[in-house]
Parts: sequence; structure tokens; C-alpha cells
Amino acid sequence: MSLVNISKPRSQPIGRWRLAPRRESHAVWYLFLLPTLLGILLFTLYPLAESLRLSFTRGVSEQFVGVQNYSDVLASGTFWYAVYNTLYITVFQLFIAIPLGFLIACLINSLRRTSNFFKVLFYIPNATSMVAAATVFLAILHPDGPLNYVMELLGLQKVVWLSQPVSAKWGAVILSVWHWLGFVIIINLANLQAIPVEYYEASSIDGASPIQQWWWITVPNMIGSLTILFVLGWIGGLQRFADAYMLGGLQGSPARSLHTVVGFIFERGFGGSEYGIASAAAYILFVFILIFTYINTKLLRMKI
Amino acid sequence: MLKANSRYLVVILLLSFLLVLSACQSGTGTSSQNGTNTAGAAADTGGQETEAETASTEQTPAKGFSGTLKVQLVGDFAFEDKTDPVTGQTAKGVKILKDEFEKRYPGVTVEFLLMGWDNYNEKTQTMLQSGAADVYQVPGIANFAEQGLLEPLQPYIERDSFDLGIYLNGQVDGWRAMGPDDQQPEIYGLPFIGDARLIVYDKQLFDEWGVEYLSESPSVDEVMEKAAKMTGKNPKTGEQNYGLTFNGNDAADTVMNINESLGGQWGTGFLWKDMKLEFDSATMIKAAEWLKEAKKLAPEGVLVNQGSENFYKDNNNVAIHLRSAPGFINSLETFGTQDRYQAALLFTHPDKGMGGMFAGSPFAIGTTSQNKDLAWEWLKFSGSEFFQQYMWDEQRSQSMPVVKAAAEWESVKATPQMDVILKQMSQLWAPRYPYRSGQPRYILSENIERILLGEASAADAMKKAQEEATKWLESQK
Repeated sequence: MSLVNISKPRSQPIGRWRLAPRRESHAVWYLFLLPTLLGILLFTLYPLAESLRLSFTRGVSEQFVGVQNYSDVLASGTFWYAVYNTLYITVFQLFIAIPLGFLIACLINSLRRTSNFFKVLFYIPNATSMVAAATVFLAILHPDGPLNYVMELLGLQKVVWLSQPVSAKWGAVILSVWHWLGFVIIINLANLQAIPVEYYEASSIDGASPIQQWWWITVPNMIGSLTILFVLGWIGGLQRFADAYMLGGLQGSPARSLHTVVGFIFERGFGGSEYGIASAAAYILFVFILIFTYINTKLLRMKI
Repeated sequence: MLKANSRYLVVILLLSFLLVLSACQSGTGTSSQNGTNTAGAAADTGGQETEAETASTEQTPAKGFSGTLKVQLVGDFAFEDKTDPVTGQTAKGVKILKDEFEKRYPGVTVEFLLMGWDNYNEKTQTMLQSGAADVYQVPGIANFAEQGLLEPLQPYIERDSFDLGIYLNGQVDGWRAMGPDDQQPEIYGLPFIGDARLIVYDKQLFDEWGVEYLSESPSVDEVMEKAAKMTGKNPKTGEQNYGLTFNGNDAADTVMNINESLGGQWGTGFLWKDMKLEFDSATMIKAAEWLKEAKKLAPEGVLVNQGSENFYKDNNNVAIHLRSAPGFINSLETFGTQDRYQAALLFTHPDKGMGGMFAGSPFAIGTTSQNKDLAWEWLKFSGSEFFQQYMWDEQRSQSMPVVKAAAEWESVKATPQMDVILKQMSQLWAPRYPYRSGQPRYILSENIERILLGEASAADAMKKAQEEATKWLESQK
């Protein structure tokens, strides 16, 4: 029995409608897509348009104020401090997590046994919700917590991590690196395993040492992964909120040292019902991400 | 065959899609808790009669009311009974309130719309605009009243000669707000959840240091003097003790309360357009300096609420907590330390006799309600002893009584700290600080933190706070 009866007409009327054969075939797939398309329309495009409209209004009466909200946000010292905090935490997160993750991935890749164990071990934090992880870090960063215990064992001075602006930011850096490291390792491992083994065999025959192989074969073949991690890290970093919010609260205490751009949007929108200002700040953040991503892709010669 | 299948697939998919859409529809009784099992609910009380149940009066059922009353509740409420994961105690659900109200108003059905605190203002705004309920719990009452979304209650109060004297002093005034046409704050809500902040101290540490307990209404000087005596190595245990602690997150509210004790106030006005702030007054600067000095007697992590986690427990090492929420009585019960801790009143303004941030939750009627008279009956019901005793017995973790009658309840008398808590709730600053609804709150808080960190002098930081907040107020006109 044939699965497709080609002797039958390709289209049958459904009620009064008759669709052309090719159209009917497409109609089925569009029908499959319909829930997703409706979801995107209702929950992505409509809020985007509504947020843009709100960014030109102010107050509960939604009075039109032109670009006043944008100029107010750009003139706000709190906003620029939030930008500084966001960049500070993100830059250190990227410059610590990516090289460290790459090194750990190389070490795991070189293991003949127990590599799976270490993959799981390092990836667990990434699978944990940031809120749960940050709650644990509140205990780790406690003045009498395990991090200070280790520091004192090493002969270093005890730090009241979350009580001082600079150390609070570093607390957020440590948390974000710990949380993101597993993802960096997994991406790097995937790439490492895709490098043809013949390259290493050929170089061995030519007398290359393991370090030379790593530098001349491994590193150049990893550029693609490292670049995508850098770009994704930037985008995610600029949108950071949960970690800073959990450690520093709504205002990013102490003294707004953990106040991020998204925290600024959250405080003005949900803390004070200033939806116009919050929407304008959200669009400014969007432009920031766009600019940074463009610069990153150009600098890193990435093809997207 | 494939073609035939694809036709069936189209029909099945369309039907499924319609099914999903119909499931998304907010029909009656889907998202709300209308409690159809009222008979079962009554039987679920398990024979343990609560004070709320004993307060259920045998009054004549009210006539002339019918229909469905939708009541929105925000917080940790559940329709059915639930067990607290920490204490293991089972609290009865709000179905008790539904049953009692329906008994008092035959022919009426109560539906609860229960929601958490996440973005409750935004959700309430949407509900008020769409008329999703009749009665709303509105801690952010000023914002909604200003938009004309709440029903003024004065006409109802006058019509029924409703006695506002049943409530603790200041509890009604604390929730006054201004509608779009009002010239002064009016009544738009009636309190049903009480809240306050108190000074709580550890009597055992006082004893160990040989320091006299705090008076019921201590001055700032008394607190500082006694806290200073108890900072250092405990003479009996030898462990490090701290004289005091406070909530770093709302240090600005503590400063404001100290400011009040020095004769200052937050400012004047109610709506943004006519609000005048006094953040840089001499008393505010002095209050900020006082707290900076007091910080030296607190654990190192006080700014982020670290270092005093054992307060209320047996192994506590902090003598005085300047800002405890009344729910601390539950912690004391859990840790079995009721006899070790005592409460004292917050600081008060020397002339006005009140002080401290007003808090809690009132009920209000939405202007979009189709059943306003019945909604008003619910508001009156929320001030009844039955309702208030239910909240005290079953929802104590999130509510304190707001009626004077509570002082006579046996279980209240049996709680050593309740006398002070009820007194405190009667002398909170009313109406509540309106500046806390917008940016001035965050601006003040940020600058108080800068003072406590030593990044700025009190005078400079308060001047900056005043300038920034005033500029923001200007932008709201």
C-alpha cells in the first residue's frame, strides 16, 4: 500500500472552501506556526510598540512629553552610575570567566577518565537559578562566611563583602563568574572536541611540544567559540539584574553600588510607577546593546 | 492517505486551538477561589474552635443583598487551610471569611482573587481599570485614589453612621488619600491589616551587662547610651556583643523617625504638585549624624542586614534592634524566646505625639465595582471582631489587629509584647509618608547610605537629597 495515493486529486473541498494543492500544504504549516506567531505578536511585538509609545508619555494620564523622558534619563547621574556598575561587573565577569573557562575546558578535554564528572560538576551552577545561587552567595559573602574563612586561612584580611561599594561589586563579579563558568566550559569543550585530531598528529610528527600545539592549533581553532561567548556575555551582562538585585536589593545597596541599568528601569517602572521614564531607559539600553554588539562583531571580525 | 491525514490534522489542530483559547478565557471560578465546597470547608475546622469562630455573632442575616462579591487579597493568603513550613502550624484559609460573610448576607456569594506581592501595584491598577473585583487590598492607596479609581467612603460612613472609633487611633487617618477633586486627604479605604515597626531588645543581654531595660518609650539618647554600654566583650560569656542594629535597607526610615523625635518632619503636602520636602532640615542632618554614630555600635554588615541573623534566637549577640516588624512575635514563638525579648515604642514627635512609618493594608472599593453597597458591607465586615480575630489567629505572620477590641482578647493579653505593638500602631505618623511612593524615597535612601558609608557628610548628602528630590517633584508638575 502506497503512503501517497497519487491517483487521487491533490485537493478536496473542506466545506465550501477549496484550496489549491500547494496552498493547502502550506496552510497546514502556517496553522502549526499560528500559536507561536500569535505569541510573538501579543507578547513581544505589542509590548515593544506599547513601551515605545509609553516612552514619550509621563504620569498616570500618559501625557505626551516628546523626548523629555529620554533627555531626563540621559541627564540622570543615577542612570550613568548604573551604566558604570553594569559595565564594571560585566567587563570583569567576561575577562575572568572566558579565559578561565577555556583553560578548564582544555584541562577537562585532556582527561582520559572522569571528564564527564568534571563537565557535570562545572555545569551545575549554570543550571541553578540565579536567585537560588545569589541566596547561597549571600551566605558565602557573609562577614563570617566561608569566603572570608578561606581568605583568613590564606593570611588575607577579612572583607565585609556586601557592605562596601567596591567589594560589593566584586561580590557580584564572583557570583556571575561562578554561575556562568559552566556554560563557557561546555561551549569550549564542544569546540575543542571538534578540532580534527589529525592536526595534533601531524604537529607531533613535526616535533611540536604540547604547549606549542595548544598555542598554534588549539587557540586559533577556538576563536569562533570565544568570540560568540564574548558577544553573548556582553549582551547578557548589559541586561544583568537578578544577581545585583538579590545581593543589593531594589536600590543596589550600598549606596547604589549594585544598581544596574535594568535595576534602574525596574526601580523607576515598578518602584515608582514611572513607566515613561522606565520605557525610555529600556530603549536606551536597547541602543547600547545594539552599539556594543556591532562594535564587538566588527572588532572580532565575527560573521553573524 | 497523507492528504486525507492532513485534512484531519487541520481539523484536529483547529479544534485543539479553540480548546486552548477557551481554556485561556477567565471564566468564573477558574482563576478565582469561589469555594464551592463550603459544606466541606465547615467540616474541615477539625473541632478546634478559633477565637474568630467564637466571635461569629448570632446576628440576624442582612436582607436586600444578592449577587457575587469579588474580593482581591494580596499577600500570603490561601483559600484552603495550609501548613507553615517553618512552624508546622496549620492556618485556616480565607474560606472562613467567605462562609461567615455568606452566612451574614444570605444570597451573596464571595469570590476571592488571591495574588502575591510581586508587582501588586501594576496588577491592582489593571484590575481596578477593568473592574475585575469589587473590593481591593490597596497598600498603595494614594496612587489609585489620585486617578479616581477608588470610591470615596465618607458618604457610606455617614449613611450608616459607621463608628470609626472601633479602629486603633490613627489607623483610619493613616490611609487617607486624595482623589482628583479633593482639597485635602479623605477616606478611601478602611484598615484591615495592621503593621508597624518597633524597637525590640534582648533582656538577657541587658541583664548580663547589668544595664537597666529600655523604658517603654525611650529617647534616642537613652538608646545610644545603653547600646554603647553593651558593645564589646560580654562580661559573662566573653563573646563579642553589639549594642544595636537596624535595617540597612530602610535606614532612611529610621533616620526619619529620629528626625521626628528631634521635632522635625518629612515635609508637607500630599500630592506631588504641592509637596514640600524637608530633607535638609537641621533635625534631619542631626538625625543622620546620630545614625552614623550608632552604626559604630552595630555589626559590620548592618548596611546589608548582615550580622544580626541570630536576633530573636537563643544565641543572639545584639542588644537592641531599632526596627523590628511586629511579626517578630512569631519568631519568638518559633524559637521559644518569648520571655527573653521585649518591645519598646519608636521615637515620637514631641508636639504631635506620633512617629514612625505608617504601614499595613486597607480595603477600598473600586469605582468600576457593580456592587458597591455590598462591597461597603465587606469593608464593615473587615473591621468586625470576627474578621480581625480570624486575621490574628490564622494570618498572624502577615497581619496585626487594627481594632481597639483586640486589646481584650485573651490570646493578645497572653503575648507579652502585644501591648506595646498595639500602642505603637496607635501612634504611627499619619497620613503615611507620601514621598515614599516615588523617587524622593530612593533619593533619600541613597544619600543616607552615603552618609553611613562615610562617603559624604550629613549636611552635604542631605542637601543633595533635597535638591534632587525637589528637582524630581518639579518634573512631576
